[in-house]
Amino acid sequence: MSEHKIFGQDIYWVNFIGLMVLTAIEVVAVGSEFSKAMTLFILVGIAIPKFIMIAAIFMHLWGDKDSKILTLTALFPTFFIIVMVLFIGLTHPDATTGLPEWCRPGYYKL
Amino acid sequence: MSGEYHDDEHEHQSAWGPHDWSHGAPHNSWAPIIMSIGVGIFLYTVASVYSWGEMVDPASIPLVLLGLIITFFGLLIWWRQDASFDGVYEPRATGTPFQNIQIRKVAMWMFLMSEMMVFTSLFSTYMRYRLGLTPCTEIYESGSWIVNSQTISSGEAVNCFLPASELIASSWFHIAPGAINTFALIISSFTIVQALRWAKKPVGTVDEEVRRKRVYRYLGSTWILAIMFLTLKMVEWFIGFYIPEIPFLGIQEHDIMSLVNEGYTIHADHYHPHHGWDDVHLAELAAANPDQFSEYFANIALLEGEYETTDAIMMADIRVSASTFFVTTGTHGAHVFIGIIGLTYMTWKAWIGGYTPQNAVSIEYFGLYWHFVDLVWVLVFPFFYLY
Repeated sequence: MSEHKIFGQDIYWVNFIGLMVLTAIEVVAVGSEFSKAMTLFILVGIAIPKFIMIAAIFMHLWGDKDSKILTLTALFPTFFIIVMVLFIGLTHPDATTGLPEWCRPGYYKL
Repeated sequence: MSGEYHDDEHEHQSAWGPHDWSHGAPHNSWAPIIMSIGVGIFLYTVASVYSWGEMVDPASIPLVLLGLIITFFGLLIWWRQDASFDGVYEPRATGTPFQNIQIRKVAMWMFLMSEMMVFTSLFSTYMRYRLGLTPCTEIYESGSWIVNSQTISSGEAVNCFLPASELIASSWFHIAPGAINTFALIISSFTIVQALRWAKKPVGTVDEEVRRKRVYRYLGSTWILAIMFLTLKMVEWFIGFYIPEIPFLGIQEHDIMSLVNEGYTIHADHYHPHHGWDDVHLAELAAANPDQFSEYFANIALLEGEYETTDAIMMADIRVSASTFFVTTGTHGAHVFIGIIGLTYMTWKAWIGGYTPQNAVSIEYFGLYWHFVDLVWVLVFPFFYLY
């Protein structure tokens, strides 16, 4: 991986600069007067490439001979992640007040 | 020993004593099972000792200590068995699908998979509560809290969600610690790959003293950045900081309060938000949108064509909001702390010239963990700090 080049430059260096620039855009976007929805759109739009850049280049999930199987390994929990996000994170808007007493915060006095 | 495969089929090394690495990778150890039992006892009992910051069951403390002692005992066995391991011999997997890949690398990825699940559960919880509870600002601007007397004088609180970003993203100075930390983690990801690159350079292509200096400087830089990350985290959570007067920027002298000093804590069942959630702003809103506020018109007196305040201040129960924030960012901080422990040892090892191309993979394995910590922060920062 370390011998790879992007635009004729060292791949780690280009990745590093790219991440720094994207983070700066992220912070500036929040400081600007965008609507909530637009801010969320920008943050998600920046977080995804940042995530891929770190995983693919810094974690060597792209360009090495064992990258493919390790990428599949890393993606294995995706199914469970989707299940958790869809069926826990995004369901039942009034669940925090509508759930039975026994599964609400504070019930077990912990 | 380097790079060779040793047939250890007929070796029967002790599951308790030191392993003989010269005969290849050992397969037997009680250490993981002992540590799992110890951690299990610790986590199960520590949860019953405290409730909302108060000690409720002191009788469980001996069991908490027992769990820690068992965990420490397991670590001791592990250390004793692996103390002779110099990181040069690198066993490889023989079966599909990981054939010919270093076993420790595969194990690190398996570990990271479990870590993904941990953080996903924290994110799911956050999403669930954030989407499930009405935002505190929405309730404030609706004026319903005046009708329901959920004010500082009544002592009743609105159950609503107040994301930490309401405080953190309220000014550039508030964002600063989190933003600096984001840059610090990205830089540290870069320094760790540079340490690996210099450690892996083939013998003869680089002066060994240059290699030693480069590796320990890059690892040391990563260590410093990690320490800075946790320091700024403490500043943000507990300490706050002082801003002097900067006339040419029009900045007045003031303090940036920490989240805890703002009252943003996991115990805040009667939170008085620092942004002045009294009905002064509500009266202004009402004046600008009289139709929207007609329902609450009777509760906000009309005085000579303008709305007058009632001096009411909204109270909010933000325990869920603060808990999801502190547990998620705290879990991430704990990972940074564990990374610092590893980096301390690795920097020392690099200082004494312990890294060679043969054992540089251990930097790569630690790097995978460290990049994962960075990866999690890439999601935590925008969604817990900015949005």
